[in-house]
Amino acid sequence: MDKPASVGNGPKTTLLQARGLTKRFGSLVANNNIDLDIDAGSIHAVLGENGAGKSTLMKMLYGVYEPNDGEVIMDGERTTLHPPIKARAKGIGMVFQDFRLVPALSVLDNVALAVSTGGWRLRRKQLREQIQEVSAKYGLAVNPDADVWQLDLGQRQRLEIVKVLLVPGTRIIIFDEPTSVLVPQEVESFLKMLDLLRKDGYGIVLITHKINEVLACADQVTVLRAGQITYQASRSDGLDGDTLIKSMMGVKPLKTVTKQTAVDAAAGEVVMEVRDGIIKGNHGETVIESLGLTLRSGEITGVAGISGSGQRELAEVMFGLRPLAAGSLQIKGKALTGGPADFMKAGVSFVSEDPLKESVIPGFTILEHMVLDGISVQNKGTGMDWKQIRSELGASEDAKALALADPDRRADELSGGNVQRMVLSRALIRKPDILIISYPSRGLDIGTTRTIQQQLITLAEQGTAILLFSEDLDELFKLSDRLVVLSGKRLSSGYRPSETTTSEIGYLMLKGESA
Amino acid sequence: MKQQAAAASTLATRPLGRNRWKPLGIQAGLIAAPFLLFGLFLMFYDVNPISLYGSMISSTFGDLYGFGEVLIKATPIILTGLAAALPARAGMINVGGEGQLAIGALFATWFAVFYLHSMPFWLGIPLMLIAGALGGATWAGITAFLKVRGNLNETISSLLLNYVAVFTVGFFVHGLLKDPESFNWPFSPEIAATLRLPIVNGTRLHVGIVIALALVAVVWYVLKYTRLGFRIRVLGSNNLAAERAGFKVSWMQVGVLLAAGALAGVAGMIEIAGIEGRLRPATGANYGYLGFLAAWMAWNSPIRLVFTAFILGMITVAGNSLEISSGLPSSSVHILMGLVLFFLLGIGRRFSR
Repeated sequence: MDKPASVGNGPKTTLLQARGLTKRFGSLVANNNIDLDIDAGSIHAVLGENGAGKSTLMKMLYGVYEPNDGEVIMDGERTTLHPPIKARAKGIGMVFQDFRLVPALSVLDNVALAVSTGGWRLRRKQLREQIQEVSAKYGLAVNPDADVWQLDLGQRQRLEIVKVLLVPGTRIIIFDEPTSVLVPQEVESFLKMLDLLRKDGYGIVLITHKINEVLACADQVTVLRAGQITYQASRSDGLDGDTLIKSMMGVKPLKTVTKQTAVDAAAGEVVMEVRDGIIKGNHGETVIESLGLTLRSGEITGVAGISGSGQRELAEVMFGLRPLAAGSLQIKGKALTGGPADFMKAGVSFVSEDPLKESVIPGFTILEHMVLDGISVQNKGTGMDWKQIRSELGASEDAKALALADPDRRADELSGGNVQRMVLSRALIRKPDILIISYPSRGLDIGTTRTIQQQLITLAEQGTAILLFSEDLDELFKLSDRLVVLSGKRLSSGYRPSETTTSEIGYLMLKGESA
Repeated sequence: MKQQAAAASTLATRPLGRNRWKPLGIQAGLIAAPFLLFGLFLMFYDVNPISLYGSMISSTFGDLYGFGEVLIKATPIILTGLAAALPARAGMINVGGEGQLAIGALFATWFAVFYLHSMPFWLGIPLMLIAGALGGATWAGITAFLKVRGNLNETISSLLLNYVAVFTVGFFVHGLLKDPESFNWPFSPEIAATLRLPIVNGTRLHVGIVIALALVAVVWYVLKYTRLGFRIRVLGSNNLAAERAGFKVSWMQVGVLLAAGALAGVAGMIEIAGIEGRLRPATGANYGYLGFLAAWMAWNSPIRLVFTAFILGMITVAGNSLEISSGLPSSSVHILMGLVLFFLLGIGRRFSR
C-alpha cells in the first residue's frame, strides 16, 4: 500500500499528461484530439452527456482501448497504457460503474483477486488487516467476510475503491459515474472520501454528468460534447454552472417537463393491487415483507429506495416474472398467478432495469425487437407481415419523439442510450393499461430524458397506471403523483411529492419508516 | 435532435462487410486445417497425402456406387444433425441424437414387425416413419421433462440417456423383439419387403436422403420465415428477453426437444427401412455424435448442415478405401474426425469470447 507522495501546498506535480488523444470506431470519431492533465492531489472532473465520449476517454486512460492518435506522458516519458495491465502497473486504477466483482465470493476473496500479496499463498490475515486499515482511514466500511451478493450497490462501490487503493503503486484513480448508485446522504460521504484521497496526493478523475458534484469538489473540469473538448477550466478560473451546462448541451433548446399537479388520486380506479405480499429473492431470502401496493389508472407511482432494496424483485413480481411467496395480486379485480404472458394479456407492459441483458436479442434488428412487445403482428401466410410492422413503426409518434434509430440496425450494436430508446418506444407504442418501468432515463441525455418524462406524463393522462422505479429523486419528484419508499424490507407508501422533500425521502431510504 | 442521436450512437456502427465474410473465411479454414494436419500424419507413415485424398475423392465421387454410399452415410447424419441444430437455435444443447435415433429405430421396428407387415407400402412406410419419430420424441421427452420440471441440464441428461437407450434396444433384441429363427443372435426379425425403402438401381442408395433433405427444408423454412421460428430464435439468443416478451419458455423448450427427438427418430427408422432391415444392438451407432459434430461445423444452420454432413459421410466412406489403398487401418479416419472436432471446439471457444 504505497502512498503517493503528499503534495501539500508545494508546486503541483502532474502525474499524467494526455496530448491529442483520438479514438475512432469505424467512421465515427468517439474522441477527437483530447488534451488532459491529471495532477497529484487534485480532482479532475470530466463532464458530458451520455454518448459524449467520456467512457471512451477513460477506457483509453485505463488502457482498455488503444488510441488511434495522440500520446500519454507519465514520469516525463511517453508511455503506452494498453492493455489495462500496463495502465495498472503505471499506478492507474479504475472504479467501474458496473462493478467487476464476483458475487459468490466474499469481500476478502474479491480483494485477493485484485491484489497480489506475493508468493503463492493467499495471505488472508495480512489482507484483512490491510482492508481494515484502508476502510478505517477513508471511512469505507466494508465487512471483509460478507459475500458480495449480500452487499448493496453503495457497499459494492466501497469495495471497488478498497480494491483500487490496495493495489501497490496506485496514484491515479478514475471514478466512472460513482454517484449514480448512491442516495443523497451517501453522496455527501463519498465526496468527503474524495477530499481525503485528494489530501493524500492521489490524482482523481471523476466522470460524471452531474454539475452540482463538479461544482462541489472539482479542481479542474473538462467538458466533452460529441467527442470534442468544449470547455476546460480550473477552480482558480472560477467555475459556474451555467457555463458548464451550455458547454455540455451546446445551443440545443431544452424542453421543460410540465405536469398537471394532483390528478385527484382517489378518482382513478384501482387497476392493480398487491395485498399482504411477501417477496423472496434468488437465494430464498425475504426481500420485501407485508407488501401492500395499489396502482390507479392515470396515476404515476414512484418507487424510491437505495439500489438493491428490492426494486428488481418488486418489478418482477408486478410483471409475473417472480411469483409472490405469499399474498395476493389482482389486476382489474381478478387474481393473477401466471407468468408474463398472462400479465401482458391483462394489459401490463414492462421496461426492464437491465435492457442490455434482458431485452436485447443479439443479432436481431430493432424492427424485430418491436414485435416482442409493442406492435402486434399479423400473420401473412405462414410467416409474419414485416411490411406492416415497418409502416406501423414508421408512423409512430412515440418512436419519432424518442429519435429511435434506424429499424434495420442490429440492437446488440446499439449504444446504451439507443437501446433505452428502443425499449421505451416499444412500451409506449403499446399504450398499456399498466406500465412497470425501471430507470427510464438511464443512459439518456438530458434532452431525451425530458422527452421520455413528458411522454410518461402524457401516457398517465391518457389513463395508464405507471409504476416508476428511479434512482434519481428529482425525476421521481417531477413525475410522480404518489411516492412509495423501499427500505429495510418494507414498502412505506402514502407520500406526495408536493408534501414532502427530497431529504425526507432520502432519510427514509436510509433508515426506513420506523426510525 | 438528429445530431444528438448521431452522437449517442457513436459506438454502435461497425463495418458490415467484414462481419459477413469473416465467419465464412473461418469456416473454410476450419474445414481445411484438419486435413492438412492429417496429411502430416500420413506422411509420417510414408503415405502420400495428396494421392490418398485423391483416392478418397475418386472412391466417393468416382462412381455412382461410391457416391451412393456417401449419401447413405450422410442421411442419418443430416437428421441427427438437425436434432442438434434445432435445439441449439433455441439455446439448448441436445447431445442425445444417438439415443433418440436408437429408440426411433426400436419403435419403427416394433411397429413394422408386429403391426405393419401386411400393409401396402404407401400406408406402411409412412406409419413406420411416424413410429420412428414418435420413438425419438419419446426419448427426447424424458430429457425435456427433466429439464422443465427438474431443472436438470439437458446436455447431461440427453448424453446419459444415450447409454440407457443402447441398453434398452439390447433388452428388446435379446427378448421381446428377438428373431425366433436367429439361433440366439440378438437381432429382430426382418421387416416385410414392402416396408423397405425403394433403392436406386446398382447402388444401396435409398430414398431416405430425400426424406432428410425435405426435413432440412422444413426446419430451414420454419426457422427463417414463420412466427414460431422467430420465437425459437429469440429464445435461443436471449431467454430472458423471451420470457419478458411473454413467451412460455418451458413449453417452447419441450416442443423443440420433442421435435428434435422426432427428427433423430426418423433417422433410426430410415436406418431400419433403408439399410439394415432389422434391428441390431449396434444399429445406427455413432450417427448421433457425427450429427452433433456436423451441426457444430455448420454453426447450426440447416442448409450448411447438408454440406458438413456430406463431408463427414465422405470421410466415413473413405475410411474403407484408406485400408485398401494404403494399408492403414480404416479406423485411422477417426483421427481425422477427431482433428475436425478439435479445431471446431477451439474456434468455437474463440468465437464465443
